[in-house]
Amino acid sequence: MIFKAYLRLATVLVHSAVFVMAGGAYAEAPSIRIGAPLPLTGPLSPEGTKLKQGYDLWVQEVNAAGGISVGTDKRRVELVYYDYESNTPKAVQLAEKLVNDDKVDFMFAPFGSGSTKAASSVAEKYGIPMIASTASSVEVYDQGYKNLFGVFTANDTLTEPIAELVSKKFQNIKKVAILARNDLYPLALAQDFSKSAIKRGLEVVVFEKYAIGALDHASALTQMRAARPDWIIATGYVNDLILIRKQMADISLRAPLITMINGPAYKEFIDAVGPLSENVTSAAWWHPTAKYKGDDVFKSAENYTKLFIAKYSSDPDFTTAGGSLIGVVLQMAIEKAGTVDRAKVREVLASSKFETFFGPIAFSSVGQATSYTPPIFQIRGQKSFVVHPPEIASGELQLK
Amino acid sequence: MKYSTLLLVIACFLALLLVPFGVGNYSVRLATTVFLYAALALSWNLIGGFAGYPSFATSAFFGLGAYVAGIAQHHGVPMAGAWMIGTMACGIFSIGFGAAILRLKGHYFAVASLIVAEVLREIINTSTSLTGGGMGLNIPVFTSNPDLFGRIFYSAMLALMFASLLMTIWVSQSKTGFALRCIQQNEDAANVLGVNTTGYKILAFALSGCIAGTAGAIYGSWVSYIDPSDAFDILISVKPIIMTLLGGPGTILGPIVGAVVFLMFEELVWRNFMTIHKGLLGLIVVGLILFLPTGVLQIRRSNSRAWSQMRAWIAK
Amino acid sequence: MLVPQILANGLLLGGLYACIAVGFSLVWGVTNIINMLHGSFIVVGAYAAFFAYQTLGINPFVTLPVIAALMFGIGYLLQRTVIRRVIGATVLITLTLTFGLNLILENALLVAFKADYRKLNLAHPLGVIDVRDYVDWLDVVVPVDRLVCTLVAVILVVAVYLFLRFTNIGRAVVAVRMDGRAAALMGVEVNHIYAITFGIGAAIAGATGTLLSVIFPISPLMSSSFLGKSFVICVLGGLGSVPGVLVGGLTLGLVESFGAAIVGSEHSLTISFALLLLLMVVRPTGLMGTRAFQ
Repeated sequence: MIFKAYLRLATVLVHSAVFVMAGGAYAEAPSIRIGAPLPLTGPLSPEGTKLKQGYDLWVQEVNAAGGISVGTDKRRVELVYYDYESNTPKAVQLAEKLVNDDKVDFMFAPFGSGSTKAASSVAEKYGIPMIASTASSVEVYDQGYKNLFGVFTANDTLTEPIAELVSKKFQNIKKVAILARNDLYPLALAQDFSKSAIKRGLEVVVFEKYAIGALDHASALTQMRAARPDWIIATGYVNDLILIRKQMADISLRAPLITMINGPAYKEFIDAVGPLSENVTSAAWWHPTAKYKGDDVFKSAENYTKLFIAKYSSDPDFTTAGGSLIGVVLQMAIEKAGTVDRAKVREVLASSKFETFFGPIAFSSVGQATSYTPPIFQIRGQKSFVVHPPEIASGELQLK
Repeated sequence: MKYSTLLLVIACFLALLLVPFGVGNYSVRLATTVFLYAALALSWNLIGGFAGYPSFATSAFFGLGAYVAGIAQHHGVPMAGAWMIGTMACGIFSIGFGAAILRLKGHYFAVASLIVAEVLREIINTSTSLTGGGMGLNIPVFTSNPDLFGRIFYSAMLALMFASLLMTIWVSQSKTGFALRCIQQNEDAANVLGVNTTGYKILAFALSGCIAGTAGAIYGSWVSYIDPSDAFDILISVKPIIMTLLGGPGTILGPIVGAVVFLMFEELVWRNFMTIHKGLLGLIVVGLILFLPTGVLQIRRSNSRAWSQMRAWIAK
Repeated sequence: MLVPQILANGLLLGGLYACIAVGFSLVWGVTNIINMLHGSFIVVGAYAAFFAYQTLGINPFVTLPVIAALMFGIGYLLQRTVIRRVIGATVLITLTLTFGLNLILENALLVAFKADYRKLNLAHPLGVIDVRDYVDWLDVVVPVDRLVCTLVAVILVVAVYLFLRFTNIGRAVVAVRMDGRAAALMGVEVNHIYAITFGIGAAIAGATGTLLSVIFPISPLMSSSFLGKSFVICVLGGLGSVPGVLVGGLTLGLVESFGAAIVGSEHSLTISFALLLLLMVVRPTGLMGTRAFQ
């Protein structure tokens, strides 16, 4: 009996020894840790969820291929998330936590211009490259930081191309009416629209702002109707734009051209407004039907869309793609640098051009991307497709 | 106040001042947050716990202090000076405002105090040229050394908490405290007996407002970016109330105990349950209200009652 | 001339606002409980209608009574089991309790439905009534779906009023509000009445949600907006007064519409809150006063 026990013990010991040795032989290089504060609860939770989907898809794909190539090794990627509850100061605190406690190698910025600007101070303090998926306002990049890189081009790249296209193609569009949400990004965007229109000799007949959380736009839209505009531009978030589009129909406010940013890029906008989405135009930093091809793990916008739908059973949009993109850019930078040394990767980020499924990505001296033109798209038959720039387009801009 | 009490308080203060030198930056931040909320809970306790007026105006003064101080710093006023300006602004505002709404009772007072925060938030939202509106306000940072930065604000919040504690002790043992308790028990009777109820109520409200305002001012400089929905968040009014209820309203240490316990729970839950942490927090609040209505500090006294209540409820 | 259109806008909006607030006001006025769950109840009703239409194809105006009945049950149970324990406690205790319950419900909704905005799109849109077709100089267009929803909303409010006035249970509810002990002595089972009141509040909230799902994009994130409006309207109209809710809702709708037209939409919220504050200081019992228990 004692003999049996000893035999059993010996077996276990031998197995353990083999296990340990085998494990030792296949010991992996430590994974690359990336810190990512996300707004998973609170008013920004829809966007936070989308961003996380983008991150997760990239992590899945890169790890399926073995990881990021660092010199001769391949190292897996590990993302460390925390929920900052849509509260910017908390995002900053979490950025500190990720650096100090979780000791991440690189960082992804939180959602949007406001929190990115705030969190970038943390990245700069500790010398950690931080890539921002969704920060487009130029003010984010005016602090002279060297460690912040943003993949969204400036707001006027959304307004200039469409103003140019409209003024060239449709000479009878003369009067513009603008309705803007009184918030950082939507207001800045609306002001850029106003500038782009006026520059081309168009007349801004109405410029109204609505309060954050407004449940009714009828008064502003009534005033717009009285001015009989040719081109109506509305900025805000998807819930605002759904309501605005509906209320426009409610009081029979019509115009040959309607542009809305940021809702129509999301399928939920089309689902919520149904047939009212017909001919609505918009622009966004990426579109699933844009004909891009890249050297990255996704290879093309079409392939990205396919993989996204396979994983999540829903369509990708510029927010999810932005999330995946920053992973892709970081990966390409590390692989080009051949190391995870922060300073060297930062240098590569600052000086290279990356061909990706999102388009060509290269950063200006202040860290914002300037290398592509955000696609303009239009919705017809409850499907959207790109109308400009011509290289990636699949249709032409039409008036109602 | 007894000399020994004062010495004890000062000793605790000095001891806590030394803590940051031994722990990491995140823990320092966490502790600073605890002190912030403890101060807010103590401030609420003055008007809500002692006088029994359920005020939801904490976030109004917090946000006002943050913005006044923030705008001052934006225009070059040094940090400490800006904090004083913020506090004074809140003092003036709370006196004026208190005079208007403290005539209301119960529900009406609660609602009116809630609405002040909304009005202030909207005013700040629309005064874009002064406050940055929805785009937020960037407040200049005076040092980029992360350790020093963390410790300075730790100390500032700690000092605020202790100042509030001393104020609470003083109020509790003075005529003011006595008057406030009378008001809570039976305001009409107190009036008849010649207690200047209006005066004392406004005093309590103003003290409460000043503490909340100073907390907001320090907070603004600490996070270096504020926007209206963060600074006037209704949770800034609600959490201190829950903390005080948890610890024991009308007591001296109750708010501090409540703040510590609540924030510990919140941190634990937030870390471990990313998608349901708000729901779990709600569960804690509900449990608290149903089983600990008189707070943790009085748990020994009402212990048997609370436990038998719980048993009866489970047995149903 | 913009005034007629803005007037129409304000009235339509006001009717909806009244419906949003009536359940809240009833519960507050009768049981003295500030029901922080109210906004979330509306969202639940909206989602129920949305999914019923999407998956079963049933028109929201048909599902409305069903949803109302379901919500009544939920409200009744909730009151009977949990909220009952704090009846008679201070406003602080009751408010904190419902606040905590709301945190749980909101989180559950967020997990179940995500934060995406959804709106019910009727396959056969109801279109608009263009008044210009009938009266040349009146530049008014009225959306039919909003009109129908507002009418249904007003009918619901009137129904509550009639219920309180003319049915036995309704009279019992009023009696309990006026004097709980006396009512008990008269044989009214007070706990049951409180639960019924809460149930009615929930039912109307659910019905409102059903109506709103056709007009507004709905998401769990909307619950605090609805709650906020309910507060304002209750105070404007006077707690517990059903006619007061109508007056309060219409007033708010008109103030917001005209305010937005005069000073700009970005100030409309500021105006409503400032007005409210003024009212609270000057006339806290609201435009209708508490004499209106009906």
